[in-house]
Amino acid sequence: MGKFILQRLLAALVTIWIATIAVTILIHLVPGDPVRIMYGSFQTTPEELEAIRVRLGLDQPIWTQYLMYLERLVQGDLGRSIVGDQPVLDVLLTRFPATLALTVSSLAIAIVVGMSLGFLAAYKRGTWVDVGAMVLAIVGVSMPHFWLGLLLLFLFALQLQWLPVAGGDWRSLLLPALTLGLANAAVLARLTRSAMIDIFDQDFIRTARAKGLPRSIVLYRHALRSGLVPVVSMLGLQFAYLMGGAIVIENVFAWNGVGRLAIEAVLSRDYPLIQGFILFFATVVALASVVIDIAYAFLDPRIRYS
Amino acid sequence: MIHSSSTAELADDLATASAPRKRSFWRALLASPSGLIGLVIVAVLIFAALTAPVIAPYDPLRMAAGPRLDAPSTSYLMGTDDFGRDVLSRIIYGARLTLQIGVIAVGISLSCGLLLGLVAGYSSGWTERVLMRLVDVLFSFTEIVIALACLAIFGVGLTNAMIAIGIASIPFYARVTHSVVLVEKGKPYFEAAVAAGAGHLRLIFLHLLPNVVPTLIVIGTLGVSTAILAAAGLSFLGLGAQPPQPEWGFMLSSSRDLISRAPWMMIFPGLAIATTVLGFNLLGDGIREALDPRQTDR
Amino acid sequence: MTPDTDAPLLSVRDLTISFGKGRHRNVAVKDLSYDLRAGETLAIVGESGSGKSVSSMALLGLLPRGAATIEAGTARFDGRDLLHLSDEQLRGIRGDRVTMIFQEPMTSLTPVLRIGQQLTEALIEHKGMSRSQAAARGREMLTLVGLDDAPRRMKQFPHELSGGMRQRVMIAMAMASDPAILLADEPTTALDVTVQAQILDLMRDLKARFGTSIILITHDMGVVAEMADRVVVMRKGRKIEEGTVREIFETPQQDYTKALLAAVPRLGAHAAAAEPRQVVDGPSRPGARLLHTHGMSKTFRERGLFAAKAGGTAAMQDVGFDLAAGETLALVGESGSGKSTTGRAVLRLLELDQGVIEIGGTDMRRLSGGAVRKARREMQMIFQDPFASLNPRLSAGRLVAEPMVIHGLAKGRELQDRTEQLFTRVGLEADHMRRFPHEFSGGQRQRLSIARALSVNPKLIVADEPTSALDVSVQAQVLELMLELQQSLGLAYLFISHDMAVVEEVAHRVAVMRRGRIVEIGPRQAVLNDPRHPYTRALLAAVPVPDLTRTRGTLPTLDASTLPTGPLTEIAPQHMVAS
Repeated sequence: MGKFILQRLLAALVTIWIATIAVTILIHLVPGDPVRIMYGSFQTTPEELEAIRVRLGLDQPIWTQYLMYLERLVQGDLGRSIVGDQPVLDVLLTRFPATLALTVSSLAIAIVVGMSLGFLAAYKRGTWVDVGAMVLAIVGVSMPHFWLGLLLLFLFALQLQWLPVAGGDWRSLLLPALTLGLANAAVLARLTRSAMIDIFDQDFIRTARAKGLPRSIVLYRHALRSGLVPVVSMLGLQFAYLMGGAIVIENVFAWNGVGRLAIEAVLSRDYPLIQGFILFFATVVALASVVIDIAYAFLDPRIRYS
Repeated sequence: MIHSSSTAELADDLATASAPRKRSFWRALLASPSGLIGLVIVAVLIFAALTAPVIAPYDPLRMAAGPRLDAPSTSYLMGTDDFGRDVLSRIIYGARLTLQIGVIAVGISLSCGLLLGLVAGYSSGWTERVLMRLVDVLFSFTEIVIALACLAIFGVGLTNAMIAIGIASIPFYARVTHSVVLVEKGKPYFEAAVAAGAGHLRLIFLHLLPNVVPTLIVIGTLGVSTAILAAAGLSFLGLGAQPPQPEWGFMLSSSRDLISRAPWMMIFPGLAIATTVLGFNLLGDGIREALDPRQTDR
Repeated sequence: MTPDTDAPLLSVRDLTISFGKGRHRNVAVKDLSYDLRAGETLAIVGESGSGKSVSSMALLGLLPRGAATIEAGTARFDGRDLLHLSDEQLRGIRGDRVTMIFQEPMTSLTPVLRIGQQLTEALIEHKGMSRSQAAARGREMLTLVGLDDAPRRMKQFPHELSGGMRQRVMIAMAMASDPAILLADEPTTALDVTVQAQILDLMRDLKARFGTSIILITHDMGVVAEMADRVVVMRKGRKIEEGTVREIFETPQQDYTKALLAAVPRLGAHAAAAEPRQVVDGPSRPGARLLHTHGMSKTFRERGLFAAKAGGTAAMQDVGFDLAAGETLALVGESGSGKSTTGRAVLRLLELDQGVIEIGGTDMRRLSGGAVRKARREMQMIFQDPFASLNPRLSAGRLVAEPMVIHGLAKGRELQDRTEQLFTRVGLEADHMRRFPHEFSGGQRQRLSIARALSVNPKLIVADEPTSALDVSVQAQVLELMLELQQSLGLAYLFISHDMAVVEEVAHRVAVMRRGRIVEIGPRQAVLNDPRHPYTRALLAAVPVPDLTRTRGTLPTLDASTLPTGPLTEIAPQHMVAS
């Protein structure tokens, strides 16, 4: 198992490393002069622009730039944002907990609702329960999640006035988390159902039934427990999608997370912030994947005891 | 490295190879409920897109075509928006944009992804490992981040958004193609073709591709849904379609502040997106079902 | 066990099972009736599609509920009709009084649960034992089935055991509750022949010890001869014949039974012949040396993080042999022996680490990519899986013609004619050229593969287990075709197989492989009748023979560490053994 975890950790580090390269190259892909695009609207003189260019290292060959970037990175310096001239890392870290709260709570909702629905549909395969669950799931998958958010906002916040429209406390987390969570639950329900159907068709389930075990034991001890393995392996991807979805949902509900920041940054061409955001995002997703992979290693005895 | 068989011969081969069960495929597709419903929805979408100038009651861009924020009525079936434009007409014209988005975005990602995955899967060795490692890393950035990066570089707008989404999905298609190619390469018939002396072109085009394409058709159809949702999302954030384009996602963002006063501005565009995406999802599922049973026989 | 030992333990009458609904439903079993007496082993024999498995799974209610319908029949056991019990009642009997073991040991145990838990759960459920009581019984059973260090095994997971060991665990699970009936569905088919012999011995021991009745489902007549007291022969869902094992083997009544027995290759039937039997007049005989190989080695290395690691499995070590035109050299071995790898290496379908391969004097290993493809004209391959070795998207005619197209041997009308000729040559109808692979049966597909291989008039054909996936009757036909082609065209075969009896039918010379090395090689009579290497002896001793007059001797115990694996030395003319 140690070897497995080490491999995953290494893969995560490679991802982060390549992210730093990609982020450095990003600026150079911009058509035109990036410095002028970024700072041009600030009434700067050509000398000041040149000074900025030197400070950002954009006058150096790309290798040197990259090394400079790495050097600063290790010291925790991700540059300063153009809008507001704040240290990028600080800005990201201040807003990040909000996004994390949203992502994790959505994941929790998605897991509880989606997986249960998926398990149920697989167990009652072919019956109305299955068909109904899958119709629900495919509708959920097809719905734009920001539309779902608007609908929920309309219903619960505006019409019924049960929940606030915006804010920072747990009550205002509920709607966005529910939106993102339910949207993802539909995806998880489909994935879980197909994974469980595969399990139910396996030989070892036939053996368990041939032993005359009660249905509940066959289901929980043999099928569910075995099904957890492939299902957990999917969660890493779902986490990444949820982080991505949070970017949009934060906008619907005016939730002050990293996502809103990213959109504003793209609109205002705030490159240092964009670079910082991409790197940050890639790192968080990579680390979360490692955590989920470790959970997966624990669940699958073939990896745990090899 | 072209073999004794001329390309004309190859083309002949290909044509017959893909001719087989067309009749039973369509029958199977129409027989499955999801396939049928999906096909109908997609057909309606295409119809609306093609005949928009004819069937739309008003000019979608004409402001003050009717009273502002008017609730749905007989003259304005889906109501009017904050500029007095007819929502229904905007929705119908929006179908054009939606179709464009789907086709262009998937076109880009499918062709590039297919090429990448095919090359990686067929080459094996160093080429494969390096390519797929790169693809995996890009994939882990998630599509929305790549799209955002593209927009950050080239600026916002609907065309840019379409291209950005297309580029962002390349890793996904590359991975799917790669894994399908690996599966087919591992099957005995591939080895048999190698043993018979087949060259690279024949192996790729006559043996691998025809067995890879069905999966890609399914994935591509489902991919249209993803592209439409992504474009709507970007437009919603203000990064895609710009005013006054009647793109459905953009229409949703303009409705945000007016939800309580004019809920129809929010409901209908969202419904349009959901229905269209549902249509492509059902069609994709239907195609998958129709293509599957062929293989299971004794 | 019933007090009245004359009454049958299990009485099945008029069992009829179908899949699907309506007029086009598939009737898998029709009017099956048989009795099982206490303490006897009943073998249900049949080829694929005979309904033998389906009928037994029905007894325990294990058929997929939606798909299969038990239309009629009764199965009286313990005074009750198994087919008409409620789910709960049947569940009480399953795994306790009537237990079942299956064919695939690799996938029949739950991978996430420990052996101990899987072994004891039925005991806890049915016998109401406590955990410690059940564990004690579990350990007892593990030792009984021949597994060492039972306490350690209990804590292990299935992936830590080999296929043979897993099947022993399955047997332990099935016998732990001291059942009245054990249903064994092809219990040894997926195992190597030496392991199979051990498992069969084990089953006989346990039966003697516990007095269990066994219903043994199998397609292997050798296993039937070894294990059964009575036999039921099934075909296409119906019972063809029933009788004691003696009656079936010595005085079969039905034509199908006779044909089945005749088709089964028997090891020893051709012991007196110095070469395979002749099927054409004036057969061409082995001629000049065609293939020469020497010192072939190949190790499959594991992928490390950045480069290939050192170590890994040695698939081939220092393998070398010659093959003459018109001759068949059989490569025999169990799984992991390297025989398949060798076959592929000869055709350069994989690259050796070192070695010499010469065909007709040309050094194959030196050839560049394009030259190798041209050289493939001379040597073709037939694969084991008749279903997966044909591209499902190409028509049969196109597939058979493909090698000719690749090598530019014919076009247009001429191509069509030659393809038609090939079809008829292998016994297929030329009209079927337009059909697709899935429209042919297994045996027909294998003929297609042979036609395809023949199309370029090769000198050498590597046949990798060409008949292993086929029913016995079909196998006989395909082997006959291969012999006929060899003797009329002078083809050389490198025939890879694990089945000694089949090898005896077709081979001129035999090479025995184990763990990547050739341990014995020589003319057929020398190797098969007078084996010198202990492994060869064990292999031959393990084969179940469908002949009641010959009991298999006790298996020689193999101590892997003392097996000679050195270079081959000649002990008799042409007969080499590892020293």
